[in-house]
Amino acid sequence: MSDPDVLGKENKKVVLLGNEAIARGALEAGMGLSACYPGTPSSEVGITLSSVAKKQGFYFEWSTNEKVAFEVCAGASYSGVRSLTALKHFGLNVASDSVFPVVFTGVRGGLVIMVADDPLGHSSAQSEQDTRFYARMGKIPTLEPSNVQEAKDFTKLAFDISEKYEIPVILRTTTLVSHSAGTVKLGKIKKPKTKGKFVKDYDRFYNIRPNLQKMHANLIKKLERIENEYEKLNTVEGNGRTGIITSGVSYQYVKELGNLLGVKIGKLSLTHPISRNFVANFIKNLEKVIVVEELEPIVENFVRGVAKDVNPGVEIHGKDILPRVGEYTPDILLEALSPILNIKKPDFSKHEANLKKIKLPVRKPVFCPGCPHRSTFYAVKKVLGENVVWAGDIGCYVLGIFEPFKMQDFVISMGASMGVTHGIKKVSDQKVVVFIGDSTFFHAGMPGLVNIKTHGTKPLVIIMDNGITAMTGHQPHPGSSFTGMGEKRIPMKIEDIVKSFGIKNVRVVNAFNQKELQSVIREFSKQDELGVIISRGLCTLLMKRMVRAKGGQFSTFEIAPGKSHRVSRLVKEFACPAIIKKGDEVYIKEDMCWGCGVCSQLVEKGVIVPRKRRKK
Amino acid sequence: MTYNVLLTGVGGEGVLMTSVIVARAANIEGYEVRGTQFHGLAQRGGSIPTQIRFGKKIYSPMIPRAQADLILGLEPIEAARACFYASKERTNFIVDTYPVKPVYLNLLGHIYPSNEEIRRMITPFAKKSIFVDASNICEEKFGNPIYGNVMAIGVALSSGMLPLSKKSVMKSIKETVPGRAIKVNMTTFDMGLKFKG
Repeated sequence: MSDPDVLGKENKKVVLLGNEAIARGALEAGMGLSACYPGTPSSEVGITLSSVAKKQGFYFEWSTNEKVAFEVCAGASYSGVRSLTALKHFGLNVASDSVFPVVFTGVRGGLVIMVADDPLGHSSAQSEQDTRFYARMGKIPTLEPSNVQEAKDFTKLAFDISEKYEIPVILRTTTLVSHSAGTVKLGKIKKPKTKGKFVKDYDRFYNIRPNLQKMHANLIKKLERIENEYEKLNTVEGNGRTGIITSGVSYQYVKELGNLLGVKIGKLSLTHPISRNFVANFIKNLEKVIVVEELEPIVENFVRGVAKDVNPGVEIHGKDILPRVGEYTPDILLEALSPILNIKKPDFSKHEANLKKIKLPVRKPVFCPGCPHRSTFYAVKKVLGENVVWAGDIGCYVLGIFEPFKMQDFVISMGASMGVTHGIKKVSDQKVVVFIGDSTFFHAGMPGLVNIKTHGTKPLVIIMDNGITAMTGHQPHPGSSFTGMGEKRIPMKIEDIVKSFGIKNVRVVNAFNQKELQSVIREFSKQDELGVIISRGLCTLLMKRMVRAKGGQFSTFEIAPGKSHRVSRLVKEFACPAIIKKGDEVYIKEDMCWGCGVCSQLVEKGVIVPRKRRKK
Repeated sequence: MTYNVLLTGVGGEGVLMTSVIVARAANIEGYEVRGTQFHGLAQRGGSIPTQIRFGKKIYSPMIPRAQADLILGLEPIEAARACFYASKERTNFIVDTYPVKPVYLNLLGHIYPSNEEIRRMITPFAKKSIFVDASNICEEKFGNPIYGNVMAIGVALSSGMLPLSKKSVMKSIKETVPGRAIKVNMTTFDMGLKFKG
């Protein structure tokens, strides 16, 4: 559920998450359709829109993947309806194949692509990536909010620019905008326009040469006009011979440095196209300019280019003093900028020494108690041992990378487990097991499995089906029984899909039944055939919420008196947070046990037993 | 005036909701509010440090080093982990003594520090610290340690460590927690207000 303040009255001041503010901005813009695939740190945009769609009267869906989601938005926009897709940086990689041509054809209803970059990888394991390169490669205008208020306002503005210039617009955030909270003054919600019509237009949609070159030239002109008209979005504060050019959340960190006398601050809100005129005017009388931007030196290189013409003597700093890796903080800026700006930096040497004295146990994320994935990993390892290549994929099961399992030997991108496995199998005789989740299977796993079947390698594929896109906060996928509008639907069965590929060895097993799991894994691993095991068990976090919402109770488990020593090996081998060791005693913590019962199957009968209900 | 609160704990302990209660109460009092609230993996037993800054005008959502005014540690080792943001000149600590032991303790052979050790670690960073058994008390009384969070907010108010009014926090609780949990949260908030450390 989203924050009720998202639907707050006009002019009310509320505290929202950046992503909630973006959703509100879409409502204020009269958006008629939104299609997303969840990806943190962008997920809450879709979560919020999904939770209010029915009430506000617009259409929302969780599409099969980001490419499809973008295409759905493009279709609506071609037909004159305003649409928005929200995705993370990797999501744009997936969608990009369709994004670039839609920029060429142009749009009719405003089309906003909200992209959340994740420097430092708070919720993105695979790589650090700078979406501003896409903006340049794809010739896509890009707005960058620096706080939550701007996140809302720029969303609305992005729709207006998009519609006026008939071009998709990127709203680019980073984690510290999307996942920051802040005071927002709300605007007026506009009634969504949800109906449109696709009007044929040969000149516009005929994107084969020679028309293609005409479209390209037209696109370049559009960008020039946008650069001129929206130069006004960039702002200048202060006066002096030293200047700072910055954008996004970095602007807030610059401001946090305090009252900087003799320093001029230029804030770019439109970071593609960057206004050449704005930068030229800003730097022409400066002695020094510092460019503060996270990740790649995109603005810096632009400034260097402009400086050559207007002020060749200006001293330019950027990535020579600031990191290109990870995320910025107020302290990183203070450290890097204080020598140039003559700021007195506090002496932290004692602070640092005291911090070094603090030694704490690590807290890595773990599978929840009752998680079906823990049970599946345990069974696979029990049967197949260690000498196997474990192909990993994107989802909660990526946590299998940690102890005690260490069963994700590589994690590349959505669905990549299949293709990489096929490659390994083609050149080696090693045993490979693929772990892929249900949502990831629908997203991009299917083509990889078709490829395996077509080209005849024989890995063991385990589809870990917990019924939902769990890691991003329980969004439905085609195998779920409800839609993004909250309506019921008949779920697609993964086993039917896999069988339709002509794969014979397909079995559905209960993820919470160790005996069944282990026996099927044993049986499949002996066959010289491509085998697909669907290990099915509902996400326990979701199950727990459903039971609690109905006011129900869980049956939980406990260790029989005097049997504690028979469970102690599970503390290390099974690593369920509910099984706790205190001194030599092991016990199951009642409020953490969600009653999956898998642990009771791993010890002799009568050692772990259903807990007797206490009378209240 | 800028007031910086760092609220930290473990995924599943209700850290996010507690931070929303504080943020909303500050908003009710007319302050500008900014902060950080990471969503994602944290619900699976990881550390969740959230930050709330309020005042007349706030820029960075992130608290600069050593500038926290209050560290509300809903779990002892997570409180100690937040010391980067603390300093003896400025920072008060409220530490819930209820440990949520990392699963990796057993796997990696780490040792969970005692309350005394935690106290020793944070002393060089603390103007004043209050250790409170909030989650324990609430687990015994209401069957769920999660209610300890709101009790800890009560302690922060009564000790003068959080400059927000009782009235706005109560209004915020009503607007934030699910309907069925309002009554018990009001009770635990009151227990916090009456707490004498």
